[in-house]
Amino acid sequence: MFQAFSDAFYKELQEISNSYYKVFLLTLFPLICFGLVVAIFYKGVAHDMPVVYVDNDKSDISRRLLFHLNASPTIALKNEFASPKEASSSLSSSKAYAIVVIPEHFKRDILLKKQPKVTVMLNTQYILVGKIIKAALLETVGTSSAQIDFVQSLAQTPSTQEAMERLTPIQLYNVAFFNTYKNYFYFLVTALLPSIWQIFIVIATIVSFGSLFKEKREREFFHGRFIEMQILGKMFPYTLAYMAWGIAYMYFIYATLGWSFHGSWSVMFFGMFVCVIAYQAMALFFFATGFDYARSLSLGAVYTAPAFAFLGVTFPIYNMNTFALFWRDLLPVADLMELQISQANYGADVMLEIDKISSMGLFWLMFIPVFIRFRQRLHV
Amino acid sequence: MSFFAVFFEESKLLFRDIAIVLTIFGGVLLYSFLYPQPYVNESVSELPITVVDNDHSAKSRDIIFKLDATPQVDVIRHDMSYKDALDALCANKVKAVMVIPHNLQRDLALGKAPTIALGVDNSYFLIYGGVLEGALKTVMTEAASIKVANLLKGGTPLVGAKTAFSSYALHEMPLFNPYNAYTQYVIPAVFILILQQTMLIGMGILGGGINERIRKKEDGYYCHSSVWKMVLSRYILFGVIFFTHMLYYFGFSFEFFGVSHLADIGELLAFGILFLMASLSLGLFLGTIFTSRELATPAILFSSLPLVFSVGFVWPIEAIPVFVQQLSMLFPSTPAMEGFLKLNQMGADFSMLEKNSVILLLQTVIYTFLGYYIMKKRQKDCYGKV
Repeated sequence: MFQAFSDAFYKELQEISNSYYKVFLLTLFPLICFGLVVAIFYKGVAHDMPVVYVDNDKSDISRRLLFHLNASPTIALKNEFASPKEASSSLSSSKAYAIVVIPEHFKRDILLKKQPKVTVMLNTQYILVGKIIKAALLETVGTSSAQIDFVQSLAQTPSTQEAMERLTPIQLYNVAFFNTYKNYFYFLVTALLPSIWQIFIVIATIVSFGSLFKEKREREFFHGRFIEMQILGKMFPYTLAYMAWGIAYMYFIYATLGWSFHGSWSVMFFGMFVCVIAYQAMALFFFATGFDYARSLSLGAVYTAPAFAFLGVTFPIYNMNTFALFWRDLLPVADLMELQISQANYGADVMLEIDKISSMGLFWLMFIPVFIRFRQRLHV
Repeated sequence: MSFFAVFFEESKLLFRDIAIVLTIFGGVLLYSFLYPQPYVNESVSELPITVVDNDHSAKSRDIIFKLDATPQVDVIRHDMSYKDALDALCANKVKAVMVIPHNLQRDLALGKAPTIALGVDNSYFLIYGGVLEGALKTVMTEAASIKVANLLKGGTPLVGAKTAFSSYALHEMPLFNPYNAYTQYVIPAVFILILQQTMLIGMGILGGGINERIRKKEDGYYCHSSVWKMVLSRYILFGVIFFTHMLYYFGFSFEFFGVSHLADIGELLAFGILFLMASLSLGLFLGTIFTSRELATPAILFSSLPLVFSVGFVWPIEAIPVFVQQLSMLFPSTPAMEGFLKLNQMGADFSMLEKNSVILLLQTVIYTFLGYYIMKKRQKDCYGKV
């Protein structure tokens, strides 16, 4: 029985070495895709986002506010415009992400305690950029305003301590757990790499079996007893290769880049192994529906391409509808992602991970229809 | 061969190929429903959090009540200790922990500025911001009301007190997607990419299939027709199909998912046609270089995620390395997504899309030329044998 497995395994290694395409699928192509995604987000933090402004006051206070804005690492003040109307085209053409408008009589109104309002027109079409700039603006305007408040408050109270307390009678101290630097590289790349990885697993597995059937060499490859073991043996080189890629990207994120990993590596990699085979089972299932190479690739594409959106990393699962949650359940990578977060960040106990790993393991059941279909097809 | 005969042969090839039909009809239709699904509830709300109340006063309960009342946050637990709360967080039951200090009410009365602590799980993208927004709103409102009360005690009249707690304020005017709706953000951009990718796969399978048959020395119309007739019929065939898809996406799907459309219909269609022409040309070109039917799907699929993220609608273009930006300009989706977003979501007019249009036209010319040239070359292979 094991003989059948290892024979198929070595035969497949032979097949791979005879095909540049398969070699690239296992090496160069994942490297390029992973590399591009890493390159895109490598900076991790957005700096110097262009913002334009209209200063209707031109007083020392308005200039100081603008100076503070420009000093924020996130914002780079670009052109000054005479009116918001003239400035608006730089928003529509994406030359700037926000327009800051300082009203007339800004200084006078502050001194008269009339609380003037600085208006910010923000491009929120790009949600993430909008949020980053909004946070920077709130912070800068808050600080800048508080400085004036502080001086005014100091004029009325004897001590700086009391003046401070008058300004902020109650405070919120907030910390971000796990991604303390609020780095977007961490958010997005940790989820994007597995999403690309699962595409490769499915495609490469289909290519391996599809090309064999297309060249009508299936009876040459599969013969004798233990067809099931031969199927598993044939797919196993890919299991190992993508396991290696999985370990490689985890190593890159948590060792090379130095993000902390609090959990157990063996639990993580065991989960990853279950996940690779789960995807291979799905790939073989797509192929076994009709043993048509091109069609099963289309099915594999439909299945794997949208996975990233369903992971819940960009958009929380708490706000997904039932259908989205259902589709998410059909994707082993969603469980893998949960496992990765809970192991890396929470350092969760193994017992808590059993349900994630076993729900990926359920996909292994897809081998049953696969084996039946292969037996029918090969008339064993 | 007459043009109509060639056109007929090409359409036969398309409609009889289940893999192509599955992709350019099934895929386009399925994706139009599937992709927006995670986002249809649009914004982040009711994130589960736990509170550790060390004060047990009327004030602390009031703050918790107000926190729970914000749309962003749902207080689902009360824990007796910080450790219990942290365990709940690590078991993924809650996303944040708020700790209210001892003597909150007393310190407030004494004017001693107590500090409420908030720890948020930042493993996920929008959760940190969502919880923080809710908590800040609660605490800031509390702070403002205390300040106003203090000012009133000091003798400032109510009208003055209401504005004097902060010397100036920020008035925020969100434009284009005012409610930060995720559908508005993702759908307009991703749908362009879906149109392009499904078209490229379809044309890639078709072209790759022909190349495969030429290599196997199978005779067919592709050996006898003049190349321009094949190019033209392929453009018309896929062009008409995808023009319809485009109308379906921009019309029905946008309407269905409530995506705004600010563009003038004429301008939208004009830019849409530029985009389709460039995609058709790239499809033709890729069809000539794929040596088998099965190469198109993987190649196009692998490019999808890098392409989405190199456009700059998720991650700002200013932070993306220049070589990635340049590489992505080889695909129509990059200038097209940018252009469509400006035109339809941000109300730009056509004159602002000059750069995008020029790139699309250049792609059309270059890829058509390359595709035509390679098809001519490949045709010589079959003449050698036939």
